[in-house]
Amino acid sequence: MILLRLISWPYARKHLLRSILTTAGIVLGVALFVGMHTANRSVLGAFNRTVDRIAGSTELQVSAGESGFDEEILERVQAQPEVRIAVPVIEAPVETGLKGQGNLLILAVDMTGDRGLRNYDFEGDDVIDDPLVFLAQPDSLIVSREFADRNGLRLQSKLSMSTMNGPRRFTIRGLMKTGGLASAFGGNLAIMDIYAAQQVFGRGRKFDRIDLAVKEGVTVEQCRAALEKLLGPGFEVGPPGSRGSQFESIVKVFSISSAMSSAFALFIGLFIIYNSFSIAVTERRKEIGILRALGATRGRIRNLFLSEGAAAGIFGSLAGLAAGVLIAKGLSRYVSGLLVDIYSVGERSDEITIDPGLLAWAFAIGVATSVLASFLPARSAARVDPVQALQKGRLQVLSAGENRIRRWLAVTLVAICAACLTLGGSRPVFYVGFFSVIVASLLFTPSLSLWMARALRPALQWMRPIEGALAADSLIQAPRRTSATVTALMMSLAMVIAFNGLAVASYDSIVEWLDSTFNPDLFVNTNRTLGARSFHFPAVIGEQLSAIDGIQTVQGVRTLRVTFRGTPILLVSADLRGIARHTVNPRAVAGDYREMHRLAGEGKGAVVAENLAMLHKLGLGSEVEIASPGGVLRLPVVGVLRDFSDQLGTIFIDTSVYLKYWNDDTVDIFRVYLKKSASAEIVKGRIQERFAGERRLFVLMNTEIKDYVIRLTDQWFAMTHVQTAVAVLVAILGIVNTLTVSIGDRRREIGVLRAVGALNAQVRHTIWMEALAVAFIGLVLGMLLGAVNLYYQLDIVQRDISGLVVAYRFPFMASLWLVPVMLASAFLAALWPGEAAVRSSLVEALEYE
Amino acid sequence: MSRAIWLLFLGSLVAAAQDARALVEEAQKRGVSKSQRYEGVLEVADSGGKVTAKRWVSERLGAWGSSKTILRFTAPAEVKGVALLVLNHPDRSSDQWMWTPAIGRDRRIAMQDRSTRFFGTDFSFEDLEERDVDQSDFKLAGEDAVDGAACWKIEVRPKATRSSQYNRGFIWIRKDNYAAAQVESYVKDRLARRLNYRRIEKVQNVWTARLLEMEDLRRKSKTVMKLEKLEYDIPLKEDDFTVAALRRER
Repeated sequence: MILLRLISWPYARKHLLRSILTTAGIVLGVALFVGMHTANRSVLGAFNRTVDRIAGSTELQVSAGESGFDEEILERVQAQPEVRIAVPVIEAPVETGLKGQGNLLILAVDMTGDRGLRNYDFEGDDVIDDPLVFLAQPDSLIVSREFADRNGLRLQSKLSMSTMNGPRRFTIRGLMKTGGLASAFGGNLAIMDIYAAQQVFGRGRKFDRIDLAVKEGVTVEQCRAALEKLLGPGFEVGPPGSRGSQFESIVKVFSISSAMSSAFALFIGLFIIYNSFSIAVTERRKEIGILRALGATRGRIRNLFLSEGAAAGIFGSLAGLAAGVLIAKGLSRYVSGLLVDIYSVGERSDEITIDPGLLAWAFAIGVATSVLASFLPARSAARVDPVQALQKGRLQVLSAGENRIRRWLAVTLVAICAACLTLGGSRPVFYVGFFSVIVASLLFTPSLSLWMARALRPALQWMRPIEGALAADSLIQAPRRTSATVTALMMSLAMVIAFNGLAVASYDSIVEWLDSTFNPDLFVNTNRTLGARSFHFPAVIGEQLSAIDGIQTVQGVRTLRVTFRGTPILLVSADLRGIARHTVNPRAVAGDYREMHRLAGEGKGAVVAENLAMLHKLGLGSEVEIASPGGVLRLPVVGVLRDFSDQLGTIFIDTSVYLKYWNDDTVDIFRVYLKKSASAEIVKGRIQERFAGERRLFVLMNTEIKDYVIRLTDQWFAMTHVQTAVAVLVAILGIVNTLTVSIGDRRREIGVLRAVGALNAQVRHTIWMEALAVAFIGLVLGMLLGAVNLYYQLDIVQRDISGLVVAYRFPFMASLWLVPVMLASAFLAALWPGEAAVRSSLVEALEYE
Repeated sequence: MSRAIWLLFLGSLVAAAQDARALVEEAQKRGVSKSQRYEGVLEVADSGGKVTAKRWVSERLGAWGSSKTILRFTAPAEVKGVALLVLNHPDRSSDQWMWTPAIGRDRRIAMQDRSTRFFGTDFSFEDLEERDVDQSDFKLAGEDAVDGAACWKIEVRPKATRSSQYNRGFIWIRKDNYAAAQVESYVKDRLARRLNYRRIEKVQNVWTARLLEMEDLRRKSKTVMKLEKLEYDIPLKEDDFTVAALRRER
């Protein structure tokens, strides 16, 4: 502790900027870790809070997935002796058109019985202006007072909303006080009569779910068992909290991506710290020598440096925690928006959920990373020989032996990696291979940096004979300093390239899929986006569309989320034979394209998406089993297709099968093919005119749908921009750090140069060239490692995240962009050190001489 | 409906002494009619003094405990056409359906939570049920005067086999005509509702209250129900008391 105060603290104060830059890596890593995880947890927490608040005193919920179920199920549940009270529910988010308010969650209930489960009125006041009018008028709404106040609404105010029958004005006939139920969905909650909601959302005579409480003396488990027996496997009976676990599995895909980003940032932070501490050990050799000469043991020296690492970790982690909480708010909005757009589930996440456990974990990771990064420099410091340390001379040279060992280790790891690739197969073998190649690249970096710096010397000398040679020599003579920065840059760029490569490959595959299967001229949808499924068309709309002049074929598609082997996947029902007829360049991953659609069309099988097959190990002939309200649907897999509809997987069945098992003839989207002579614009106008004011529908042109899918993909891959930003930040941090130390190291050398007549411009150019050379080496090695990393990342996505198979495509454009970006970053990073070099005191620099 | 409410309170309480039960049975017997029709006015005053009024036509067919009733709201305009069908059963809760013309569909009202207020009035759904005397125990609690009329005060407790929001209550039966004068209902031994029967008149030989005042003492609100154009034993058809008939707007 005394050494820390007397030795380390003055050193940190003297090199304040470097100390800040060193901890910046930890700040960044911890901030990303906390920010991303807090954002994900906030979105999940908001969803769970809404479920909890809406549930009231509900003990069990009965549902049959997104399709809902017939009304008669309610009476069967109500008649069950174990049930005290059972009420029907329809829940759907709708757009209000109110600026900045987002969606309004409609909770449609039967108010004649629902108050036994949910508390609508607070402090004894009436929540509804007139309950009979509320039930008698289908335009009745109860909103939270918070929502009403935000939008200047009062009792009897009108609120416009889209319904299946076009836009309609609703009347606010009740206000709920803030708190409890009213605060669900961020206060954007409205209560509607369930029978009115059936019409508004086109649900027919169906309910989404039943909320119930058990009779006194009966346990929840007894009631659950009785209901499961009564209703069969097509129905899910569980506590309200189980809805959260389904949402969680959807958020999981995003969480994995977030975890990778933060781990990547921390990994780079580790190299920044390692670099700084290595430099500090070198700089303080003399000081260490004196301490050792005065009797300090090796252990005390090692502990001193480890303590410095811990201190940097503590400060960096604390700052990272604060920054993480700050960025979590913005990120949570982004995540919830993404989930709404892609999965049609989501939650207004205005408040963030801070988990003390997560903060403690992040703090521990930050400190551990910092201590780990300082371990090697600390060991090196402990090994300093006091006699040698007090002698003059260069100390940065890597011993030939040290380099040889590293290279041999690297070669061994490459061999292991090659063996793993050859063996293939299992997950452990795959990850051992991946780990080996990454560690091998880390071990090779010092040698490669040195060789490349030597190779660059003639080129740099050619550009600027004196400055170029000096810059190259500086890099060659301080390989430890150079290689640590290059390693950080290389890792950072390798990650950026992998993410960009993933994006490029995904885009290409998605565009190919869109061109092949999304070829109808028009899409008629109940919702503005493809993911939202609050509203459904009655089947009769299909016939009405067919009658419109210019339309040749209409195909109805119903999509819903169902549970398959515990995962909420997408079920698509459509006229599969019809779709097969219109597919351009049909390609199947397994099975014959036409034959699989014929069999599925006859109800003899199901077609599954490649990612589902991959994640659940399905092949031709495997049986898929889906619980439906009409019983358990069991079909053999008759084909596997490359499909990007859902990251958790998709099963395609024919409409006739869906109708039989789900007893639901509603449609979410109509695929419309036009006659050859018809114009899409004109027919779009005709459809809108035909249903104007009568039906809620959105007519989208083929290009609009494709643009929408691409936009969603853009949103998904927006994270790659964050990666690039982190890479640039790392480059700047690393290079500023390296150059600051480099100038400190070469203070006397620069002083002599200036004393013998070197111009300030020449000194600046030397520093700039050194920075550009580091960036260049980092770029080359980063691209090489990036190419390898991309291969593994594609496999990880396929194996462990979404099962989506995308072809390997190196992101040449993104890589080309990285060259000027990284060189410019390096140049910017070198500006201040360059100025510092020319502005330093010549007298102080030559004091020794 | 007035008789239904009277009987419902009667039925919702429990008895012990045979003479008290006999008094209640006699009161029931004197109120018997084959059918009933009236036009009702319902005024609900909340704790702030705001009054909302509704009108309806009520028709009832059948004997006590297994009668069938249809209420059709006639005013105000927002609720016009809304109809309620109540099928009473002597041994269990009534079945109720509601017709809402604006949506064009009927709904079954689940009677699981019978303590729910009846469409914003101070009556609960349980208060609308007709219950047989066998479902309660009665005990004479003394004699009392209500609005100057001498009454028997009878304590009523629901039998253990019957679920009720009330744990006990009192009914006052006038000695001069065996008409109910007042009912008090207790939830967890706390007085929750008080129903007063006013303007008791003899209509076609049946003593009937033409004005009922229901007070919710917890909410401090009051519902006043007036019975106009009251008739007994009018010809009504069974077919008019079905769910299909409920949908036929008149």
